[in-house]
Amino acid sequence: MEIVEDKTSQCVIIGITGRLDTTNYTLLENKLMELIDNQQDKILVECSKMDYISSSGLRILLMALKKLTAMKGKFALCSLQENIHEIFEISGFTSIFEIHPSREVALKSF
Amino acid sequence: MRFRFPRLTFFRGLAFRYSLFFLIAILIILFLPLVIGYGTSSVLLFINAQKDATILTEQTVAQFKNVLQPTELVPQTLVQAMENPNITYSEILRIARDFVLHDTVVCGTCLAFEPYLNGKENYWNATYSYEKNGRLTTRTLGSADYDYFKMDWYRLPKLLNKPVWTEPYYDKGGGDTLMCTYSTPVYRNIGGRRVFAGVLTMDVSLSAFARIVKSVNIFKTGYGLLLSRQGRIIASPRMVMNNQNILDLARIGKGKATQQAIMGMMAGKSGFTSMDGLEARKFPSFLSYAPVAQTGWSFGIIFPEEELYDDMYKFLKMMGWISGVCIFILLLTTIFITRRMTRPIVRLVEATRKIGQGDFNALLPVRKSKDEVAQLTNAFGVMQKELRVYMQHLAETTTEKEKIESELNVAHNIQMGMLPRGFSTPENWDLFATLDPAKAVGGDLYDFFYLDDDHLCIAIGDVAGKGVPASLFMMVTRTLLRAKAVAGTPINVVMQSINHELCQDNPSQMFVTFFAGIVDLKSGKMEFCNAGHNYPYIVGLGEEIRQLKVRNGLPLGIYDTNEYSSESFSFNPGEILVLTTDGITDALNMSNDFFGEAKLAASLTALANRNTKALTELLIGELKRFSRGAEQADDITILALQYKDATMNGAGGAPFIHLDLLNQVSELEKIANRIEELSEAWNIPPKIGMELNLVLEELFTNVVFYAFDDNMEHNITIDFVLPDVHQVQITIRDDGKPFNLLDKNTDENFGKPVEERQIGGLGIHFIRKMMNSVDYRREGNKNIVTLTKNF
Repeated sequence: MEIVEDKTSQCVIIGITGRLDTTNYTLLENKLMELIDNQQDKILVECSKMDYISSSGLRILLMALKKLTAMKGKFALCSLQENIHEIFEISGFTSIFEIHPSREVALKSF
Repeated sequence: MRFRFPRLTFFRGLAFRYSLFFLIAILIILFLPLVIGYGTSSVLLFINAQKDATILTEQTVAQFKNVLQPTELVPQTLVQAMENPNITYSEILRIARDFVLHDTVVCGTCLAFEPYLNGKENYWNATYSYEKNGRLTTRTLGSADYDYFKMDWYRLPKLLNKPVWTEPYYDKGGGDTLMCTYSTPVYRNIGGRRVFAGVLTMDVSLSAFARIVKSVNIFKTGYGLLLSRQGRIIASPRMVMNNQNILDLARIGKGKATQQAIMGMMAGKSGFTSMDGLEARKFPSFLSYAPVAQTGWSFGIIFPEEELYDDMYKFLKMMGWISGVCIFILLLTTIFITRRMTRPIVRLVEATRKIGQGDFNALLPVRKSKDEVAQLTNAFGVMQKELRVYMQHLAETTTEKEKIESELNVAHNIQMGMLPRGFSTPENWDLFATLDPAKAVGGDLYDFFYLDDDHLCIAIGDVAGKGVPASLFMMVTRTLLRAKAVAGTPINVVMQSINHELCQDNPSQMFVTFFAGIVDLKSGKMEFCNAGHNYPYIVGLGEEIRQLKVRNGLPLGIYDTNEYSSESFSFNPGEILVLTTDGITDALNMSNDFFGEAKLAASLTALANRNTKALTELLIGELKRFSRGAEQADDITILALQYKDATMNGAGGAPFIHLDLLNQVSELEKIANRIEELSEAWNIPPKIGMELNLVLEELFTNVVFYAFDDNMEHNITIDFVLPDVHQVQITIRDDGKPFNLLDKNTDENFGKPVEERQIGGLGIHFIRKMMNSVDYRREGNKNIVTLTKNF
């Protein structure tokens, strides 16, 4: 998995490429926690290139969501592949995560 | 290949280059004498000019002397005579007046005496006679206005006690003309003493000298110059200079040489020197000068330097023009000649170009002469002829070769067509074979066929050599195998029999390495015989491989009488027998390394737990990657036969994959990779593959994190079975503490606000949602989870 960080005037965009699973979720966890510790309270996770996610990965996203909600910040996802979206659906996460179809749409919401 | 000739332009041509070289040579040849000639003649011209100027100077000075001699001599004689008391002054005057009348230069004479010399009443006593228009006028001189005692012509001889030439002066009240005066002191004897009494003068009109000076003519504008003792210009054809002091003319803006020359002139020396001229601006000139006897005057000739060389420059200019014209004519001639000479070469080039483009009948230029070009043309002619013959020959050969090649293609197709494919095996057996031929018709073969319902004959062979003979031999071998292998005949007898037949008619001593086996499909036992062929590999479950090494017999076709013995081998469930030819181990890559036995063994190890088709294809893929870019030199043949593990997959002959894993998260990668391969092999859609992956990851991590309390290594196995083309069955076994994931009620977590959600338990939720069935049982010390997924 590769993580790319991108800053815009509205928020920080975290792009994930490849598989987010038990072997590497800590990378994402560290990245997100570092941002949150730095008072970055607006984060968008770009998933167009993420082709796998396991519950470990979901757990990190959930954790980030909880922290940012508590901070009155904002955490959103965008451009989920169909398979990934289905996992979100199965897990019921679609109801708690703000998920946008594309990066552009997502950025408008910030 | 097509040769491209650069287009021949004039400037690239031989004609131009030869002419250019020629021209340069001629220029050098011409230029050298010109330079030397210029140097020599300028020196000569200088010497001559110096000589001429010096002679002219001397001649002119001599003329002056001729004129002046009587002017000096006559008064000197008269003054001497005056010392004689018997001669009266009137007599002297008469002689002097006579002289004035007759001499061309002298225009007046004066006899002047000291005050009161001839009586107390006369302070001034001077008689002056002068010639004007051929008549002599005499009058007395001396008055308050004209006090001759203060005049140079009177004062200087008295002072110096010798005759003196005065500076030029305008004699106002005297001769009324520009003149110089030769003044000789007169002495009288008074009481035995010689006493200065007065002077006798001869006036010389300067116009006389001007005439002489004017007559001096050297080069175009060269001119003469007569200087008085004090540097006054007495005469010169340049009127503006006259009566000026030469020192003034030479003072401003003139070089040291000029100053020195003027000083030399005024010091009464003679010489020849270069100087700056006397004009207002510098004008490099030469000056020749000499003193005019006792007058203290100096005469010089000045002429501009450039006039000295004028003629030479004119000559050189003319020479230049003539040379230029000559060179131009020469250049034209050279170009003409060289073009004429190279024209046949140009024609030859054109003809050659045509030949190069494939026109072997292109006409070569005809040359009558026997020169080098003609020889070259002849040589080309011969080459052309031979090329024509060669091309014809080549065309014939090519046609023949194409014919053979197409026939070879047919042979190849026949050979390939003979190999069995699409074989149906009993459900607990799996067989796959492939032959990847090298370019030409090869000598590899494989075969498999039923002897009866329970016995399968498999074989692989490699005929030594390649090409048509090898393929023919291979076909014979294969035909013989089919003929000789019948149910009930031991394999070694079959081999012996084939060997016998092959040895019968084998004039070219060909032979074939051959492995053949008869498999009892029920018992999994194989009787086999290896006639010099590569050892087969046995690939077992759990990535163990070994080679079936038994004593090999000789290859078939060598000794008629050779005995072959058979060996036997019993398949363990799941084991795959892999037969190969040396096309695999002998495959080369670009750096000429062999694939080799070690790499083959390693590849097979890595490819364990696959079905025969996947194993074969992946192995060939590996080989192709290895030898990328290199040409395949030999046939590559693989035959793989698997005795399936009926007990493990529990589903008869369904394909299955077994995974042995350790209780480490890093093993997840293996699961992911295996699912990827498996999805491809079993046609599982990517979405389903991802779900399987996700579910297995959740299960596996659950086991890794929670099943073991010790820090020991544990084995976790996963078995994939494809009981149906649209169903996959997965069994996960671990020896951790009992854990029934089905007990967990996970649904309660959902629908709660974010903050209250429990992280974890999600994996179990996924498993339930994504799988069609989930089953858990505890067997002995093992947790066994069985999942099924339809797709």
